[in-house]
Amino acid sequence: MNIISVKNLRKMYDDKAVVDSISFEVKKGEIFGILGPNGAGKTTTLEMIEALRPIDGGTVTLDGIDVASEPDKVKEIIGIQLQSTNFFDKLNLREQLRMFDSLYGTTADPDKLLADVQLTEKAKSYVEQLSGGQKQRFSIAAALVNTPKVLFLDEPTTGLDPQARRNLWELIASIKKQGITVVLTTHYMDEAEILCDRLAIMDEGRIITINTPKQLIKELLGRGFTKKQQVEQANLEDVFIDLTGKAIRD
Amino acid sequence: MRAYQRRFFRDKTALFFTFLFPLIFLFVFGSIFNTSSVSFRVAIINNSKTEFAKTFIDNAKKDDVFKVSEDITTIDDAKKKMSRGEIDSVLELPANFGEVSEGSPVPSGTLNVYYQKGSEQSGQTVAAVMEKILDGINKGFGRPDPALKVAQVSTGSTGLSSFDYTFSGLLGFTMLSMGIFGLANSMPQEKQKGAFRRLRASPFRASQLVVANGLHYLVIALLSVLVMIIVGLTVFHFNMRGSWLIFAVYATLSAIMMLGFGLLIGGWAKNENQSAPLSNLVSFPMMFLSGTFFPRFLFPEWLQGITNYLPLTPVVDGFRRIMTENASLVSLAPEIGVICLWIIVIYFLAIRLFRWE
Repeated sequence: MNIISVKNLRKMYDDKAVVDSISFEVKKGEIFGILGPNGAGKTTTLEMIEALRPIDGGTVTLDGIDVASEPDKVKEIIGIQLQSTNFFDKLNLREQLRMFDSLYGTTADPDKLLADVQLTEKAKSYVEQLSGGQKQRFSIAAALVNTPKVLFLDEPTTGLDPQARRNLWELIASIKKQGITVVLTTHYMDEAEILCDRLAIMDEGRIITINTPKQLIKELLGRGFTKKQQVEQANLEDVFIDLTGKAIRD
Repeated sequence: MRAYQRRFFRDKTALFFTFLFPLIFLFVFGSIFNTSSVSFRVAIINNSKTEFAKTFIDNAKKDDVFKVSEDITTIDDAKKKMSRGEIDSVLELPANFGEVSEGSPVPSGTLNVYYQKGSEQSGQTVAAVMEKILDGINKGFGRPDPALKVAQVSTGSTGLSSFDYTFSGLLGFTMLSMGIFGLANSMPQEKQKGAFRRLRASPFRASQLVVANGLHYLVIALLSVLVMIIVGLTVFHFNMRGSWLIFAVYATLSAIMMLGFGLLIGGWAKNENQSAPLSNLVSFPMMFLSGTFFPRFLFPEWLQGITNYLPLTPVVDGFRRIMTENASLVSLAPEIGVICLWIIVIYFLAIRLFRWE
């Protein structure tokens, strides 16, 4: 069953199509990844689905609601982690979550949300005192305040160290287990391969292909592709993690 | 350095306010203080039947300095109007003014200049002008002792210190700076940090954000007024003549209005480069033209008319009338009307022009 359906979605900036008539579906309960280099139109696509940016053409339906005509209704059932976001300063994490709770008119338990993202002992800290990984986890906690049906994560692991990235992957996988559909963007292939059930690859405003990671690799090999270098059983990141340990450092 | 300049010149809004704004300023103030058409609204009460008095009044009416209110005929009526600030001064010609008596072969007498206690400046200025005119006539008579004299008489409540009078102006100024500068600075800062972006992701409307910010600053503005009043009462022995309740209601209304300007600027501006000059543009004219620091009767006629509709004018006038004349809410209806009108206009604009980032 599809929870998001995007049809011929388009966004123009000065006669240039940043998002050029793309169509795709996201299935309920899956982790859907949008991959692509910087400037491919990932964030713009996401923000149009989230009702944060006006839609220039095409339609987006989320859980049966037309995004363009009922943006507030959509915002009530989604959770958003923005790529470049910040929170009010001089408000501790618990107060922040209470504030977001009041914006949605819901009754979430801030301490449970903080426990879910392993930030219990930071409940009385300000956001500006958090490390990069903690900030991202808090940002996800804030996006879960209204127990959303769909969670949007825009480059959640960019700028994080390997430990914090792996930690965040686990968190995202556990959110999926709760039955929440996750849509994320990334330009890390390893992340997409490990996390995503299905993914779309975008470039210059168009979707080049959509499939499961395994199927995409299989298709590539089927076209007779071989790597120039002999594939090792481990890469440098594995070495790094092995030497520095998996424990998160924040 | 070059990159900075480039960025600066590409920000058209900043450019406008940086260069055009001082010019507008120069123009406005240059034209005010260049003009000599300062006028005083006066009433002339003539109790004298002499021909001299008649001629004197006719000449006074021709003088550009005075704008004579013709419809005021009794001294009591004139004093009442003066206490309301509708006229600046009353000239009273006593019954014997201009009489030629046995002791003095030329017209003599004393002209009474009435002014409201508290607006000594206007009384003194009018008296000085009259003295000069009478002096000229005296000299014409060629007599060593001046036959025509001017007496200054203050009316209204006595014991009003000049602090009591200026205090309302200072309170008005606090309203202005609290209302505009706080919000105009803080909202663009939040935008730049991306805090509003995150709020926007929730079903939270611009109007709710504007009202929430406004309420928050209303508390702060009223607190700061409270502090000022406490200091005024204790340190400067401020003498409150009106009702505190009326003052509180009026101050709250005024603060809501002034905050609207802060919300409009802060909500519209993308960054502080836009908001800072804009808040100056809005607040400086009010600071100087609404009677906070300079009495408005010093301005030329046309400017007094315009400044009546500046948002801060009814605030300052209202405070003054509540605190020094014990005005009631009913008698303040015109001022309250102007304030309410501004509130409607400014909050409508603030919500419509709000930008999230």
